Amino acid sequence: MKMTERVKRLREQSLQARETISAERAQLVTRFYSDAGARGLSAPVLRARAFEYILRHKSVCINDGELIVGERGPAPKATPTYPEICLHSIRDLDILDSRGKVSFHVDDEVRRIYREEIIPFWEGRSNRDRIMERMTPEWLAAYRAGIFTEFQEQRAPGHTVLGYKMFRTGFLDLKREIAEAVAGLDLRSDPEAFERAEELKAMDIACDAIMMYAGRHADALETMAAGEKDEKRRDELKKMAAVCRRVPAHAPSTFHEILQHYWFIHLGVVTELNPWDSFNPGRLDQHLWPLYSAGISEGTLTAGEAYELLGCFWVKFNNHPAPPKMGVTAQESNTYTDFCLINLGGVKPDGSDAVNGMTYILLDVIKEMRIVQPSSMIQVSRKNPDTFIHSALDIIKTGFGQPSVFNTEAIIGELVRQGKSIVDARNGGASGCVETGAFGTECYWLTGYFNLVKILEVTLNDGYDTRTGVQVGLRTGDPSLFTSFDEFMDAYRRQIRHFADIKIRGNNVIEKTFAAHLPVPFLSLLLDDCIARGKDYNAGGARYNTTYIQGVGLGSITDILTSVRYNIYDTKRYTWSVMLDALNENFDGYEEMQYDLIYNTPRYGNDDDYADAQAVAVFEMFHDAVDGRPTPRGGIHRINMLPTTSHVYFGNVTGATPDGRKAFVPLSEGISPSQGVDHQGPTAVLRSAAKIDHLRTGGTLLNQKFSPEFFDDEENQKKLIALIRGYFSLDGHHIQFNVVSADTLRAAQAHPELYRDLIVRVAGYSDYFNDLGEDLQNEIIRRTEHQDF
Amino acid sequence: MKGLVFNIKRFAIHDGPGIRVTVFMKGCPLDCWWCHNPEGKSAQVRNVERIDRVGDREFRSEEAVGRYYTPGEVVAMVERDRVFMEHSGGGVTFSGGEPLLQPDFLVETLAILKKNGIHTAIDTSGFAARETLVSVLPVTDLFLFDIKHIDNELHKQYTGVGNELIISNLDMLIEKGKDVILRIPVIPGVTAGMDYMQRLVRFIGKRNNGSLRRIDLLPYHKTGSSKYRRFGLPDRMAGASQVPDGHIDDYAGLFAQLGIRVKKGG
Repeated sequence: MKMTERVKRLREQSLQARETISAERAQLVTRFYSDAGARGLSAPVLRARAFEYILRHKSVCINDGELIVGERGPAPKATPTYPEICLHSIRDLDILDSRGKVSFHVDDEVRRIYREEIIPFWEGRSNRDRIMERMTPEWLAAYRAGIFTEFQEQRAPGHTVLGYKMFRTGFLDLKREIAEAVAGLDLRSDPEAFERAEELKAMDIACDAIMMYAGRHADALETMAAGEKDEKRRDELKKMAAVCRRVPAHAPSTFHEILQHYWFIHLGVVTELNPWDSFNPGRLDQHLWPLYSAGISEGTLTAGEAYELLGCFWVKFNNHPAPPKMGVTAQESNTYTDFCLINLGGVKPDGSDAVNGMTYILLDVIKEMRIVQPSSMIQVSRKNPDTFIHSALDIIKTGFGQPSVFNTEAIIGELVRQGKSIVDARNGGASGCVETGAFGTECYWLTGYFNLVKILEVTLNDGYDTRTGVQVGLRTGDPSLFTSFDEFMDAYRRQIRHFADIKIRGNNVIEKTFAAHLPVPFLSLLLDDCIARGKDYNAGGARYNTTYIQGVGLGSITDILTSVRYNIYDTKRYTWSVMLDALNENFDGYEEMQYDLIYNTPRYGNDDDYADAQAVAVFEMFHDAVDGRPTPRGGIHRINMLPTTSHVYFGNVTGATPDGRKAFVPLSEGISPSQGVDHQGPTAVLRSAAKIDHLRTGGTLLNQKFSPEFFDDEENQKKLIALIRGYFSLDGHHIQFNVVSADTLRAAQAHPELYRDLIVRVAGYSDYFNDLGEDLQNEIIRRTEHQDF
Repeated sequence: MKGLVFNIKRFAIHDGPGIRVTVFMKGCPLDCWWCHNPEGKSAQVRNVERIDRVGDREFRSEEAVGRYYTPGEVVAMVERDRVFMEHSGGGVTFSGGEPLLQPDFLVETLAILKKNGIHTAIDTSGFAARETLVSVLPVTDLFLFDIKHIDNELHKQYTGVGNELIISNLDMLIEKGKDVILRIPVIPGVTAGMDYMQRLVRFIGKRNNGSLRRIDLLPYHKTGSSKYRRFGLPDRMAGASQVPDGHIDDYAGLFAQLGIRVKKGG
């Protein structure tokens, strides 16, 4: 299939559009909150009315030639802000405007509106202020030391994915469901009945709001059609108006309608608040296939029309950069990408092979569109045919890092272990980077990255953080007094537990804060069983509730612990006092020793059981410290292992380490080995990575590099399929491929102007190489360099 | 019993079908000018200098090339990749050096691997006593058999030994119906050229009874030259250029008439 001229044009416009800050939403939400009518409303109703107010007054943007309509801001890449979540100061806006990477243009009018309206109203009143005020001194000290990050500091929880139900349900249907739930309330014996009634009222308002918003698009399209001279476009505009009259009020009945239906839902979610990972249609090939095949067989749709609509739909995601991030949040997730991850393949609810015709059409779209948003992945089940993986490898080999590759059986195993029904598990997948979820039924929050290496550094200093000069951890003793490796590991275990406790206490307070102040009645409509329970998504309304803490630096921490075990306890090559001196000096004057630590010490990623034992040990410590601990909304804490870009930030706050790593150098990413230390080839890496128990996580991230030449050979592709299937039979959760040579990356670093279109895989997402910070660029070059097959 | 091995390479993808583990045995009776694995020639453990970099500094150390393994140790290493072998139809390949130089170790190790259900291959120059080759037949599923040159004199000139034994060994394998992949080095100034390739086609055509599974054309690569420097060996191919890809395609075209699959590279 070939991209039409229309899609080419829209794609080009999207690529050329400059990221800007729009003050529109901030202004509307501020005006709404300032109004006397807002006072005295219950939190959910207040939020629903705010939602309704924004959708009623925000500008309606219809771009030239497009077929799917709706922008979060007034124009493509005009990015709203969310002062109720986190308020940007004028200085923040200046930084956003001027910073080298992931910047947003801010014009004077935006600054004026901020100065005059937004800052005066929200100063000290944003949710970020509320959170920071409620955190304990221990939490704040650990946060500042870089022990962990906090996801909800500048963004709302989301991380969730639409399930199949909403692709066949209209908001009028939801209003009926709400009415039934209201009728079923028992005001005499249910002590929460009043709260439920308020929540349901809020949901009902949100239903009306989104339908009204679609209606405003229909109005605008009809007006445009009336004035349109070009007959063909006039017909299109009329047809689009008719689509917006039907959806999302009614269940979609055509291919065009289903795409527009989802897009209105997407806009609703990202306008209500700024949830992480924007929003996500999930198992798109499953959702689209029935209406596609019906349209084709009834003769109401051609393959070409469908393909063009999909191109228009794809562009929409690319028009929406992640809301502006500052400070630590920017460092941990330093990208415009907003992590909408399209899932393809996997299994159907009955467990059978789910690959269908739409799977291959969407792979074509991904290949041809070649844009960083939306991101995409394939779910590989043992029931899926090799042809499916093969088609994905044909895209992967072009080097833009999409789609990534997931193990359906692992995802299902993880979800079932957490207590999901088998059917809900089969309807699940991965979102964001690699995060497992039951789509349409689970509210799973990611709460922050957890710096396993920094905690080790703190352990070496008896709980003291040398960088911030604060006693952040427990006093577990001077390491040179530990007489055995086990004793040392026990101290580390206690520190992990200590910081996990601090983080979890913080999480629980933050969860309460969102439940009390920032319910999301619109998002709650979309997730089972919020309506039936009359409970908000942010308050535990979903069928399943999970709260994640993401471990970072498995490769680095394994190498560090292995180095201690090997060099200090087993071979006694170095004493603690020499080791600590060397670390304090950042190996200056200790280069011989650093060389030994790097080259003559077992390393993770080589299928060496001696080294990999520490990966398993640290995994178990982290797991035991977090997994199974309850959250206030009725959820359970779990772990996953992914970094986005936090391994760079965490490296920046961590001094020299016993694996020979110099201070402030990035940590290893995901569960990949430290950059450049694996020398036994990919099967050894996969075997090492599979020694931890992936099924007790909610996702792990493994990066593998291959030279582009590797893919030239058809037989090699078959071997890659076997490599993937082999890793997955060992319960590996995910693998992604960076197919680009280090030479190309170095050239791009030297001449960025010649490589503006170079896209690489980072960690769980793809991004323009030019948009990455230099640290991260160097880290990717290093991890790409070592390959000799 | 132990065997001298200089490398065990995992995810070997050029040494037979599927994902394989290749065990490089040390010691070789041939002395090919274009040898890619000169460290495999000597049947002795040798120390070479290893250079590692930390920042701007270079660190030099002595590294032993070659280590004695028991069959059990090799089997344990190979077994680590079993899951990938099974998914890819791969297995183990013994290469070198010349694996048939250590027949007792080879037979014992192959026997265990075969009993364990692992596909076994030997990558050989074919220069081995007949009874040695016979002894590995029951435990070897596939032979990767090199034809360095079909002209006896030139074979002698470029490898140090004549090819009579090699060709008669090949004929024996073919006669017994063993699976054989012929490996043809394409060496500039030696075997590269349409005339020689046409002769080779005739040579192979006479032996084409269904036993020959594939012909691999292995173009000369300069990758060996850095090893020659490192091991302090003379590089007799210095100055040779790589064979143009188009030429390899032409040769492959010639072999196509035999009805045997031809593969560029291993």
